[in-house]
Amino acid sequence: MSQETGQPTVTLTIDGMTITVPKDTLVIEAARQAGVMIPHFCYHPKLAPDANCRMCFVEIEKMPRLQTSCSTKVAEGMVVRTTSPTVQQARKSVLEFILANHPLDCPVCDQGGRCDLQDFSHEYTPPVSRFTELKRVFPKEYFSALIETQMNRCVQCLRCVRYCDQVMDVKALAPQGRGTLTEIKSFGHHELDCEFCGGCVQICPVGAITSRLSMYEFRPWMLKRAETICGYCGDGCEITLQTKENRLIEVNSTLGGGRNNADLCARGFFGYHASTHPDRLTTPLVRKDGHLVEVTWEEALETVAAQVGWVKDEYGPEAIGGLISARCTNEDLYLFQKFMRLVLGTNHLDSSVRYGYMNAIEAFRRVQGLHRWTVTFDDVVAADTLMLIGTNVTETNPITGLKIKEAVKQRGARLITLESLKPVRGTISNIATLATHHLELSPDQFGIGVLGLIKAVFEQGLVDSALEQEAPEYVGALRTKIEAITWDRLLAHSTLTPSMFHAAVRTFEQGARSIVVVGQGVLRSPGGYATMVNIHDVLLLLGRLDRPGCGIAALAEENNEQGAIEMGAVPDLLPGALPVSDPEARRAVAASWGQEPPRTPGLTMMEMIERAKTGHLKALFVVGENPLGSLPPSAGVAEALDRVELLVCQELFLTETAQRAHVVLPACSYAEKDGTCINTEGHTQAVRKAIEPLGESRPDWEIFSALSVLLDSPMEYETAKDLTKEIRNMIPASRVLGPAPLPPRPDREVLRRYILGGYRDDLDGRLTPPPVTKTTGTMTLSFAQSLFHSGKFSTKAKGLLKIQSAGVANLNPQDAERLGVRTGDRIEIRNEGGSAITPVRAWERVPEGVVVFPEHFDQDLRQVMSVTVDPRTGVPYCKLARVSVEKV
Amino acid sequence: MPTTSSPAKKLFDTVLFREIWEAMKVTFRHMFHRPMTFEYPREKRTIPDTHRGALALLRYDDGQERCVGCDLCEAACPSHCIKVISEEDKTRPLQRYAKEFYIDITKCVFCGYCVEACPVNALAMTKLYEYSTPDKRTLLFDKARLYEIGERYLEDGKRYLYAHNQEKEGEESRAYRYQFPVPVQKTPNA
Repeated sequence: MSQETGQPTVTLTIDGMTITVPKDTLVIEAARQAGVMIPHFCYHPKLAPDANCRMCFVEIEKMPRLQTSCSTKVAEGMVVRTTSPTVQQARKSVLEFILANHPLDCPVCDQGGRCDLQDFSHEYTPPVSRFTELKRVFPKEYFSALIETQMNRCVQCLRCVRYCDQVMDVKALAPQGRGTLTEIKSFGHHELDCEFCGGCVQICPVGAITSRLSMYEFRPWMLKRAETICGYCGDGCEITLQTKENRLIEVNSTLGGGRNNADLCARGFFGYHASTHPDRLTTPLVRKDGHLVEVTWEEALETVAAQVGWVKDEYGPEAIGGLISARCTNEDLYLFQKFMRLVLGTNHLDSSVRYGYMNAIEAFRRVQGLHRWTVTFDDVVAADTLMLIGTNVTETNPITGLKIKEAVKQRGARLITLESLKPVRGTISNIATLATHHLELSPDQFGIGVLGLIKAVFEQGLVDSALEQEAPEYVGALRTKIEAITWDRLLAHSTLTPSMFHAAVRTFEQGARSIVVVGQGVLRSPGGYATMVNIHDVLLLLGRLDRPGCGIAALAEENNEQGAIEMGAVPDLLPGALPVSDPEARRAVAASWGQEPPRTPGLTMMEMIERAKTGHLKALFVVGENPLGSLPPSAGVAEALDRVELLVCQELFLTETAQRAHVVLPACSYAEKDGTCINTEGHTQAVRKAIEPLGESRPDWEIFSALSVLLDSPMEYETAKDLTKEIRNMIPASRVLGPAPLPPRPDREVLRRYILGGYRDDLDGRLTPPPVTKTTGTMTLSFAQSLFHSGKFSTKAKGLLKIQSAGVANLNPQDAERLGVRTGDRIEIRNEGGSAITPVRAWERVPEGVVVFPEHFDQDLRQVMSVTVDPRTGVPYCKLARVSVEKV
Repeated sequence: MPTTSSPAKKLFDTVLFREIWEAMKVTFRHMFHRPMTFEYPREKRTIPDTHRGALALLRYDDGQERCVGCDLCEAACPSHCIKVISEEDKTRPLQRYAKEFYIDITKCVFCGYCVEACPVNALAMTKLYEYSTPDKRTLLFDKARLYEIGERYLEDGKRYLYAHNQEKEGEESRAYRYQFPVPVQKTPNA
């Protein structure tokens, strides 16, 4: 027994070294721990042993033949020899057979220089082959745009096939043929059509599967590496940006590194070109005579300083507002809010968390007294039961999706999904197919689904007895409210039955470690905040909110939304997510800043837009945010921006908003700056610079710092590190920069306050199903995230555009048939807001009555959306609309 | 001159200016000898095949570029004077080629490692040594210039490779080093 973990251990001897490892360890892993590398091709720590390459032979005493160390478990007293002459002989023979067919094209192979086969051949084989026969040559059927296979080089270890199945659950690759003529192919005689996670490229030990995006542009020894964090979704995957002469060449990820542990998605693996797109802004622009003209930094900054100083003197600080994107680093976000609060003296600042994630944070703060998850990815993997509500996790947060897949496929967790998906297999994985209980909902029904769960909890008598004793009133109030709603009313427009809800909550309740994962489907559709609080109620009723390993995980869309909250880049929160209205918190902040932040309540994004429309907001700083491109025309952003007297944009590209700006300042992308960011589970990770800033672009924080000097209240920092230090001193929670986050526990005091009265505020509102007005002929249009894009930023990445370059409306095949359209036809989507024509695709996973359109290409279609603002959190809901659809 | 000669002999030699005659003998002998110097540039020296002169890029006999843009010469170069920019040939998928190729000949130390590293014998050294110029910029040889040298001094280049035992003379020269497999495209009906 090992003393630390209490796990049973085994002691064995490898090459004369005695080593103690946990029971059930594989010999190859034990050898690695002893510092002995056993050559292998087919073994990979993430995959189940297959022992097909026969390269990892070792000699084990008392065993008659050589054993494959990748499939042999250690045993007490085992004596393993990895370098005996017999073993060497075996390795030489195995390699000789592999090399009989492997072409000697190392000089033109992208793997050359980091190839396992090359290394082992140098070590174990003679320089000349004994084979004189011709080598096999596979004819190619097609050339792919991104993932290219060169099967002549394949050693048939099947790592790619197993990865695609076991880890990704996509099953896009399969071996075809027999013996040496085995070929890895996709199904069907067409290009690979899959999730494009790049896993097969990364896991291939030779150069048989390579990325076309960087093909032949580099040799491994030329590359410089920067371990940084992916700038797309909230999962915060660690990526290694490989550069050559200040150009981004490719992306890898390290096994055992980061929260993703070498797994990536299409965006991470193929989306890196967005940073160096030729459209990037490289010089500051100032509007002169109606046109944006290139100027020097000095002129641009002085213009901004003079104008904003004038606005502040003339109209007061309340006439200035600011918006920032949650794709910025913590340092940018922190200095932005410090700049707005101290230099300009206003609390009118907001970030893109307002598009949805704020709903989750407000609910967390209200019920749990927290602003981050109480669980980590490790808890998700270790969970017994998982419930997904409106996540569409494969497409929004693919790596969280992998953790869920790992929990379900490899650890036997039971999965309950409340998703707007049909459980059908397709070219990309579908989390609903793994579910024990799948409750299929229309994208506007997630709130109803959660109400159904509460009702089922009461009907099944699963209410936690401790809670019933502690807060009988709370339980009683909920029971009366929910009993007043009949199942008929809840399930009027769905095919679900009450018994499905009963079974789902019963299963969920059986797990000791149960986690609810909530996604954008909930957070971005009307009533998102109320639904989020209701989900807390479900967990409270089941007694699961305050238990270790249990909790609610709300998924962030952008990579640093959690950071935006913690850095205080929202109107009512100071750094550390302390409320602005709390005098104590303001004093604490003032101790570090030397000055107290303003106490006036700040405006949210939508309020700022309203104030600008009426002409009360005179100056607006927009940092990486694009409200004109994100909100529908009916939100009136265009009118608001027209009335603003000073619009300053800090941008990578000349976006719709930046085109209307008075001054545009070129900013750096994540690949060009240092800093930190916080992923959705609350883990602070380092962003590192891979290339020099393009043109004259500067990191956002440097721009704020320069402006503060010109505005006579200097906030000077030499490097981003100085800022990081200041942040760490102010926010204790952001000090964690280790392998895994330390999740907090819910604040019992806040929890008590909630169940003893806090729940009452809006109980009537949130326990009422929204009125459903479904008329025949209309469908629900949902703007959803695509797996291959993230916001508008990724539409600049050439690799991702090769997978998906335009918006296509996805319909259920039955709906398509009803409308008389087929994939490739065009449909008109219309409602009172306007109409647009778009191509259509019949996709089995879309439920009936729903049109799913990727939000990244919504330019023409945005007009059919209307905006409703959440009364409590100010979140604008503009992702769902009722539309009529016709064939064109 | 022996110093232990008799006084009589010494006297005899002095009177007859014997030493001067000895020296003049050498002088007069050379009057009838073939001259040892070359009148460069009118006359040129014969250079051995192993001579390390200007570098050149070679083509196969069918006119195809030998270079596959593998960057190995760049890696082997001790003075970092080679720069290869390679990419996939747009017209022949999966075929690698050097889009650009530069040798800064002012930095080159003529060690010949690049030629040795080349897996396809695309690089060779020629007997060309006359490229002095008032404009130093012309000494950055680009791909066109290197192929031009290769065309003009193809024979030199080949002789260099034979002399260094990198390529065999005659028919097998093309197959001697490895010919990389060309991806075969299946015809849709096949």
